[in-house]
Amino acid sequence: MKGKIAVFLLFFMNVYGKTFSQTNSIQFSIIPTFGAATLHLSDSAFYANDTTHLQLTAVKCYISNIQFLKNGKLVLEEKNSYHLVDASEINSLKISINNQQNISFDQLKFNLGIDSATNVAGAMGGNLDPTKGMYWAWQSGYINFKLEGTSALCKTRNNEFQFHLGGYQQPNDCLQTLCFPINNSSKINLRLDVQQILQQIDLTKTNHIMSPSAEAVLVSKIVANAFTIYKN
Amino acid sequence: MKHKLLLLSLLCFAIVAFRSVEDSLFVVPSNFPKPVYNFSKNSLTANKIQLGRALFYDPILSRDNLISCASCHSQFSAFTHIDHALSHGIDDKIGFRNSPALMNLAWQTSFMRDGAINHLDMLALAPMSNPDEMDENITHVVFKLQANNVYPKLFFEAFGDSVITGEHTLKAIAQFMLTLVSSNSKYDSVMRKQSVFTSQEKNGYVLFKKNCASCHTEPLFTNDNFRNNGLAIDTTLKDFGRYRATKNPSDSLKFKVPTLRNIEFSYPYMHDGRFKKLSQVINHYTNGIEKNRTLAPELQKAIELTSNEKVDIIAFLLTLSDKSFLFNPKYFYPKEIFSKTVKD
Ligand code: HEC
Ligand code: HEC
Repeated sequence: MKGKIAVFLLFFMNVYGKTFSQTNSIQFSIIPTFGAATLHLSDSAFYANDTTHLQLTAVKCYISNIQFLKNGKLVLEEKNSYHLVDASEINSLKISINNQQNISFDQLKFNLGIDSATNVAGAMGGNLDPTKGMYWAWQSGYINFKLEGTSALCKTRNNEFQFHLGGYQQPNDCLQTLCFPINNSSKINLRLDVQQILQQIDLTKTNHIMSPSAEAVLVSKIVANAFTIYKN
Repeated sequence: MKHKLLLLSLLCFAIVAFRSVEDSLFVVPSNFPKPVYNFSKNSLTANKIQLGRALFYDPILSRDNLISCASCHSQFSAFTHIDHALSHGIDDKIGFRNSPALMNLAWQTSFMRDGAINHLDMLALAPMSNPDEMDENITHVVFKLQANNVYPKLFFEAFGDSVITGEHTLKAIAQFMLTLVSSNSKYDSVMRKQSVFTSQEKNGYVLFKKNCASCHTEPLFTNDNFRNNGLAIDTTLKDFGRYRATKNPSDSLKFKVPTLRNIEFSYPYMHDGRFKKLSQVINHYTNGIEKNRTLAPELQKAIELTSNEKVDIIAFLLTLSDKSFLFNPKYFYPKEIFSKTVKD
């Protein structure tokens, strides 16, 4: 009997301990914005109220291989995880990273997009399932970043612009690795400012990127630079 | 103790028996190299192959539910679109290229004539979403399959999950295509010392090894590479081959070297189906080579063949026909599955 109680107690402690330790996680939020305004695309498109009648309909990207470093050394990482961040899906903007042992860090590192090994590994499920609309059909490869909308600057059908950035082969490898010094906190807020991206693109000339190219690499770098950490 | 031993040996037996069933689904022919496809990420089972076979023959993968993979890849022509230079797809639209014969795909590192597809799993996405072929998209296909009255059960039997995903759909189709192995031609039996060439075939084989085998390398009859074999560009199609996928000028006019197995049945020939007969192909190599910037070095100097030698090479090419592949019931339209759909 005594033994049974002990086992029960152990079991209980274990369960309790687990639920308790779940609070030991890092809440990583991605906040898409247009300048100061937060972008919500869940119900409708975003209207910028500017002279070009800018409208945004889709902002999506893959964030993968999230790592935490301390003094330049890797201390915590999320293996084999590929997050599909979508401005129209609120739930996709929050990533919870397990930090059971409360490891401290001073730097955040992640990939914007999908690494080349994963690009050539065949069909995969979850966020990497091709039904998610982030895979090119006629030429194999994941789309790392999608930005779609309309602007009077685009002399295209319905004034549409479409940026589907991807490509895993040299010289047009679009994968971007981002690094930020951060405070050792259980809350990280990462901002993606779409206005900053569009300010650096001449929409009259560049409004349609749908396959790997040198231009896609260039715009991928612009996108990478539009991410910043909100200081808290 | 005895019992344990018995149990252990039973277990071992079960494992061995299971393995041999699994292995028999895909046998590497004794004269073939190791396959390229990574089976550990998509291990073959009879149920998955059967599901893939159903999908391959089912027009549900197209927008109008009329075009299946088999519409352009029929078994008796070694899974090409027989007699069509450019394949026909949805609404009778004419495609951009001649559909290639499908076989021994487990040994290929890239797919399509320009290598635009990097993995067999991902292949089906291309025809499914091509507006001239099936004009669908995988998300909607999965939706239609889920609503169908047989597929949720077939997916459950195959993957242990009746919730259909893009991943499972693609993996099943790939499994069926992996089983399309052609390795029982006369050529193979000669190599296995089970039969002999006629003197004409033998002479053709010698000429073939001298003039053709650098690209059409044995035993797969392709080196899995991209080459410019001197075809003048079709000015209406303007197909620059590999260049379309890489945008690298040195890849201009290079095309995937196709296998020559079952070549007797997979006419018309070349990426645009410009030749109907093997004799035309041989004449191209002796008299029709267009010398342009990216022409393969081995074709710079004209191949010289007498008319007898041409006939000999063709006689050799005909030894690559494999009736046990072309008429293998394993690859037939799966009546047993579709008759259920109608009954239900
Ligand atoms: C409308 C005709 C058409 C349909 C339908 C079609 N294909 Fe094809 N298929 C083609 C053509 C044309 C090519 C060559 C395309 C190229 O090289 O760009 C091809 C190429 C392929 C290849 C590449 C072979 C190689 O050696 O590289 C495979 C495999 C294949 N198809 C499988 C399929 C499957 C699976 C389906 C059904 C999901 C399908 N096809 C549906 C016409 C078709
Ligand atoms: C330099 C490499 C090279 C050499 C040498 C070569 N071929 Fe080819 N062959 C190719 C390529 C590349 C293609 C495909 C071209 C295309 O798709 O337009 C091809 C296509 C073919 C085809 C058509 C296959 C089909 O399914 O459409 C036949 C038949 C053929 N070759 C036979 C031969 C013979 C016979 C020889 C020797 C006399 C030969 N080839 C030498 C590269 C070569």
